[in-house]
Amino acid sequence: MSSLPDRRLLESWQDPKAAPYVRIERLTKKFGDVYAVDDVSLNIFQGEFFSLLGSSGCGKSTLLRLLAGLEYPTSGRIHIDGVDVTDVPPYSRPVNMMFQSYALFPHMTVEQNIDFGLRQDRLPRRERAERIGEMLDLLKITPLRKRRPDQLSGGQRQRVALARSLAKHPKLLLLDEPLGALDKRLRENTQFELVNLQERLGTTFVTVTHDQEEAMTMSSRIAIMEAGQIMQIDTPTAIYEFPNCRFVAEFIGSVNLFEGKIVERQGDQVLIEAQFGGLMRMRSFQPHAIGTPVMVAIRPEKMRLCETPGGDGVNRLQGIVEDIAYLGDVSIYRIRTGSGLLAEMTLTNIQPRTEQALTWEQEAVIEWSPTSGVVLTE
Amino acid sequence: MKRRSWPLLSILVFGYAFLYVPILLLILYSFNESRLVTVWSGFSLKWYGELLHNRQLLDAAWLSVRIAALNASVAVVLGTLAANALVRHGRFRGRTGLELLLTAPLVMPDVIIGLSLLLLFVTLQQTVGWPDGRGFSTITIAHITFSLAYVAVVVRSRLARMDVSLEEAAMDLGARPLTVYLRITLPLIAPALLSGWLLAFTLSLDDLVIASFVSGPGATTLPMVIYSSVRMGVSPQINALATLVVALVAVAVVIAGLSMRRR
Amino acid sequence: MSHRHSHRLSRLLNIGLPYFWLGLFFLLPFVMVLRISLAEPTLAQPPYTALWEWVEQGVLQIRLNLANFQLLREDDIYLAALLNSLWVALVGTVCCLLLGYPMAYAIATAPERRRILLLMLIILPFWTSFLIRVYAWIGLLNANGLLNTFLLWLGVIDEPLKILHTQMAVYIGVVYSYLPFMILPLYANLTRLDPTLLEAAADLGCRPFRAFLRVTLPLSMPGIVAGSMLVFIPVVGEFVIPDLLGSPGSLMIGKLMWTEFFANKDWPLASALAIVLLAVLVVPFVLMQRLQQDDEGTRT
Repeated sequence: MSSLPDRRLLESWQDPKAAPYVRIERLTKKFGDVYAVDDVSLNIFQGEFFSLLGSSGCGKSTLLRLLAGLEYPTSGRIHIDGVDVTDVPPYSRPVNMMFQSYALFPHMTVEQNIDFGLRQDRLPRRERAERIGEMLDLLKITPLRKRRPDQLSGGQRQRVALARSLAKHPKLLLLDEPLGALDKRLRENTQFELVNLQERLGTTFVTVTHDQEEAMTMSSRIAIMEAGQIMQIDTPTAIYEFPNCRFVAEFIGSVNLFEGKIVERQGDQVLIEAQFGGLMRMRSFQPHAIGTPVMVAIRPEKMRLCETPGGDGVNRLQGIVEDIAYLGDVSIYRIRTGSGLLAEMTLTNIQPRTEQALTWEQEAVIEWSPTSGVVLTE
Repeated sequence: MKRRSWPLLSILVFGYAFLYVPILLLILYSFNESRLVTVWSGFSLKWYGELLHNRQLLDAAWLSVRIAALNASVAVVLGTLAANALVRHGRFRGRTGLELLLTAPLVMPDVIIGLSLLLLFVTLQQTVGWPDGRGFSTITIAHITFSLAYVAVVVRSRLARMDVSLEEAAMDLGARPLTVYLRITLPLIAPALLSGWLLAFTLSLDDLVIASFVSGPGATTLPMVIYSSVRMGVSPQINALATLVVALVAVAVVIAGLSMRRR
Repeated sequence: MSHRHSHRLSRLLNIGLPYFWLGLFFLLPFVMVLRISLAEPTLAQPPYTALWEWVEQGVLQIRLNLANFQLLREDDIYLAALLNSLWVALVGTVCCLLLGYPMAYAIATAPERRRILLLMLIILPFWTSFLIRVYAWIGLLNANGLLNTFLLWLGVIDEPLKILHTQMAVYIGVVYSYLPFMILPLYANLTRLDPTLLEAAADLGCRPFRAFLRVTLPLSMPGIVAGSMLVFIPVVGEFVIPDLLGSPGSLMIGKLMWTEFFANKDWPLASALAIVLLAVLVVPFVLMQRLQQDDEGTRT
C-alpha cells in the first residue's frame, strides 16, 4: 500500500501500535452463487471518516449491512472495539446506521423518531428529553420537532435521519449513501457539514457512496471496491496520485495509460520502452525486473505543452489535436499520435479561449515529468 | 388520453346504473305501503316496524353478527400470520403449497367448501367426539377458513409495499423483533388489518351456502332466514332489511373516507 | 443467539399456524369428500356406509363403491348440468369482460382524484349482502315486475316478457354479482401500465385505437385472465343465482349438489358430484395460479 511519504503527522492507520476500532477478518457473504463480499479484510480506526467507494453492485452496501448486523456473513468475523460481534444481533450492536431511504417512521413525529432508539435503551425520561434537545440543536431542526416525515423536505429528512442515528451516541455510525437523495447544490453544502459534525463528535463514520467527488472531499480514507473485493485502501490523495492498479487509476478521475516494457533501472527511476514508440522515464520504488511489461498512468492535468522541442525525446508524445472540450476553467485536449494512440491533456485556461495557442488539427508535442505518474504492473 | 370518448363514458354510466338501480329500487320500495312492487300506495315505515318485531329474524341477525365478529377477529390474526410468512420469510419449503391453500378458498365454489367441511365435522365427531353438535362453532370455523384467505390478500399487498428498511432501522436502533413488529409493522399495516377485518365480517354475514351445510338444528343465520323468505317471492320486510344494510355500509364508508382524508 | 431463536419461533408461528388451519379445515375435508363419494347411501345418521370395517379379528374389510360415479355417467341429467354450468360460467365471464373492461379502462384513465371515488362505487355493492342483491332482481324481472311494467308503459312490448326463471335471468344475475371481481384485477393491471408507452406508440405514428389493440390490450392480458378466472371458477359451482333466478328445468351442478344433499339426503352422490366439479375446476385454477406467480416474478 503506497502512501504519501511527506505526511507530517502519523495517522492512526500508520501507527503500528494503534488498535483498530473495527476489525474485519476475511469476511465473505454469498447470495446464492454470487459473492457480494469476497474475502474482505479491513481495519478502521477510531475517529476515522471511512468511505466505501464503488459502482452499484460492487458489494459496498452489503459490507455496510454486515457491519450493522442486518446480514449474517457466510464466513469471516467482525470485531468492534475488541469484541467479536459476528453473532450479535443488530439490536445489540454498539452501531447505528443512517439508511439510504432514511427509513423515518412515517407514523411518528420527528421527536418520536429520535426518541425511538433512546426508548429501547430504557433511558429515564429526563435524559431522553435532554438527548432529543441536544440532537435537535445539533442538526438545527428544533422547529421541526412536531412534524411528521411526510411534512419534511428531502434535506430536512436527511437531518432527522442523522439525528435519529446519532441520538444513541454510537461509537460507530454507518451511513448508506448519506447524500444520495439530495440535489446537487444541497449535497455540496451538506458534505462539509457532515465532516464538521464528525470532527466535532469524534464518532467513527463509515459511509457507502458511488460518488467519487463526495468520497474524496469527506473521507480520511477510502476503500475502492469492485466485485466484492477491496482494490485499494488509502487516503484520497494517495488514491488519486498513486493508484495501485489499473482499475483504481481508471475508476477515479481520468487517466492516460501508456503500455511499455522496462529496459533499464537508474537509481529510483526506471526507463521504459513505450509501445507508442518513444522512451519514458518514471520514478518507481518497486523492484521491477528488466523486461517486465508495465503501464504508465499519468493524469491529464499532469501533461503540459512542450515549448522547447528537441532534447532526448524522453516522456514526450507528438500528435494532432483531434478534439477540444472547453469546460470554462479548463479545457481538455485530445491528441492523436501517429501510431493511433489517443492522449488526453488538461490545460488551465489562463488566457481567454479565443486567444489560446492550441487549436484543432494543430500539431502538438506534449510532455510530462518522471514524478507525475505511476508505474503499474497490471 | 385526456379526451373522454363518448362510447366509453356511456358504458361507464350504464355499468354504474346496472350496479345501483336494483339496490335503489329496493330501498325505494321498502317505504312502500303496498306489498306489490308495481303499485306505489304511499310512504310508510310499517315494514320496518314488522322487521323489528320479527323475533326469528332478529335472533338470526344476532347470531350472524356474533359469528361474523369472532370470525373476522380470528381470520385477521391467521391471515396476517400467513401474509407475514409469504412476504417476510422468503423461499421457505412449502411456500407454493401455502400460496395454493390461500388462493383456492377465494375461488372455490361455496357448495364444495360447505359439503367438505360438513363431512369433516361429521367424521371428527364420530372419531374424536368433537365438535359436539353443529352450530355457532362449526359455522365460525368454516367462515374463518375462507375469510383468512381474503385477509391474507389484503394484508399481504400492504406488507409487500412497506419499506423493509423501516423495520431494519428500528432493529438497528435497538428494538428486538417483537418490539419492531408491535411498534413499527403493526401500526403501519393497521389500515389493512381494519379493512381485512371488515371484509371478513361482511363475507361471514353474507354467507348462505356454507353456513347451511355446516349448521345444525337451532342455529339459523340471517342469510338462511332471508333465503327461506325470499324463496317465497318478494318480501317488503327484506326490502327494509336491505335498506338498513345499505345505510349501515354507507355510514361506515363515509366515516372511513373522512378519517382517511383527515390523515 | 437469541435472535436466531426468536426468528425460528416467528417462522413456526407465521408459516405453521396458517398451514395447520388450512390443512385441517380446507385440505383434509377434500379427503373426506373423496372418501364419502366412495360410500353407499343408507338411511342412517350420518347417511352413508363405512368404507372399512374390522369384520373379525385382524381382518380389515374395505368396500369401495364406484356406483355413485357410475350413476353420474349413466344419468344424462348430471352431464347436462355440468355442461350447462360451464356454459353459464363462460357466457357470464364473457359478458363481465365486455362490460367490465371498458369500465376498468375508463376508471383507470380517469383523473386521479375521481378514480378513487369511481373505484369505491365499484366495491361498495360488494359490501352489501350478495343474497339481497340477487333478490333485488326478482322484483325487477318478475312478469308483473318493474322492468316489464316499464317496458309495457313505454309501449315497447305488448305483453310481459318472461325473464325471471329463465337462463337470461341467470346471466344477468351472474354479471351483476361478479362484475366487481372482473373490474378490480383489470383496474389494478391497467393502472400499472406505463402511459408513456401509449405516447411512444402515438409518436411512432400509431392511431389511438390501434395503439389500444397493439399495446394496451396485450399488456393487460394478465388482468383479463385473472379477472376471468375469478368470475368463471366460482360461477361454475354457483347455487344462489340459479336457485333464485333460474328456471327449475335447467340445472346447474351447484344447485344439483344442494338438492342431492338437502332434499334427497344422498351424501355420497353429492360428494361424487363435488369430486367431479373439483376435477373440472383444477385446470382453470392451475392456470390462474401459474399466472399469478409469473406476475409476481416480473414485479420483483
